[in-house]
Amino acid sequence: MVMAEAIAETLDSLVADSTDHHYSPYTRFDWVDELAEEQWWMTPELLTIAGTKWATELDEATRMRLSKWESINFFSVNIHGIRELLIEVTRRIHTPGFELPSEFFHRFLGEENGHMWFFAQFCQRYGKRIYPDKMLPVGDSGSDTELASFLVFARILIFEELVDHFNIRMGRDTTLHPLIREINQVHHDDEWRHIVMGRKMVEHLFQPLRERDDAELRARLDDYVQRYIAASVQSLYNPGVYRDAGIPESYTFRNELLQDPARLRYHDMFFSRITKFLINQGIISASPFAVAAGDGGTR
Amino acid sequence: MIERVRSWLLARNPGVSDISLDEDIIDGRLIDSIAFPELVLFLEELAGRELSLTRETVVALRTLRGIRDTVLAAPHQAAAHD
Repeated sequence: MVMAEAIAETLDSLVADSTDHHYSPYTRFDWVDELAEEQWWMTPELLTIAGTKWATELDEATRMRLSKWESINFFSVNIHGIRELLIEVTRRIHTPGFELPSEFFHRFLGEENGHMWFFAQFCQRYGKRIYPDKMLPVGDSGSDTELASFLVFARILIFEELVDHFNIRMGRDTTLHPLIREINQVHHDDEWRHIVMGRKMVEHLFQPLRERDDAELRARLDDYVQRYIAASVQSLYNPGVYRDAGIPESYTFRNELLQDPARLRYHDMFFSRITKFLINQGIISASPFAVAAGDGGTR
Repeated sequence: MIERVRSWLLARNPGVSDISLDEDIIDGRLIDSIAFPELVLFLEELAGRELSLTRETVVALRTLRGIRDTVLAAPHQAAAHD
């Protein structure tokens, strides 16, 4: 597999930008001793209750408490997502087929390690916990290495696009505490490079799969990627969050939110950029949120 | 309670008519990594407690027997909730 010249050019400019904006995550933030519970920790429109009856029926103190735990969950989801990408990119750096992006991978791994550190700091300082990962680390691609690499970079890109939507919104939200705003902004400032590279990688790695002219494989990929997008959004709905926010019947509450038709519009918005890209590439046939919210809250 | 788990899995695998107690649901592709967190949350709801994904729990989660005998029957192995 030989990387195209166009990718090489993009890589050079991303590496240069990374060098120009290098910082130490360990000294970048002024960590305050504590953050008051009664404040917005997350933009209300990004909460999992937005658009539902609970956005008005829960009192403001409960919604603010919910915003605290959804914020801790959001950063916990980031930590677990970064763990997967660190493992998978490390597995590929300086191996055949990945010679060209390896220089960028060094920057990427360094930056992601820093992100993981400051997200964990936030969770442990202000939430005293990181919500556990529920994922099972099993491969879904068998021994097909081309397929495995494509799926890894597709998952990384989808995850980063979801997170970036939240980072952009919260980085600009002046109602949030300056530290919360800054963490989101700093993450976005690095993440755009990862997204640019991620799109190039996904496009490049999909090419040999497309050339196989295997309709069954394409259908399987379409289904897998759409299901992964839906699963990514489901990770934002954590029963532990509702429990910590003092909302009773946390599993029932989660299922009810996931099945609320009002949430589809939000899910569609979170992934609008990446679904357009994936559809244009021919990787997926439609947005998973164009169908039903059902399947026990699957989409 | 294990019948609810069997039904949950069958509903997600329309081409499958039955799942034996000892069938490996991961190797048998009845559940994949994408759907796994939803299975864990469903089992937590049934068990009434949060599950800790230790090596032992993950092994137990591979079969209905393991789920019945370990995950759904050992409330002392994880933190209580709700």
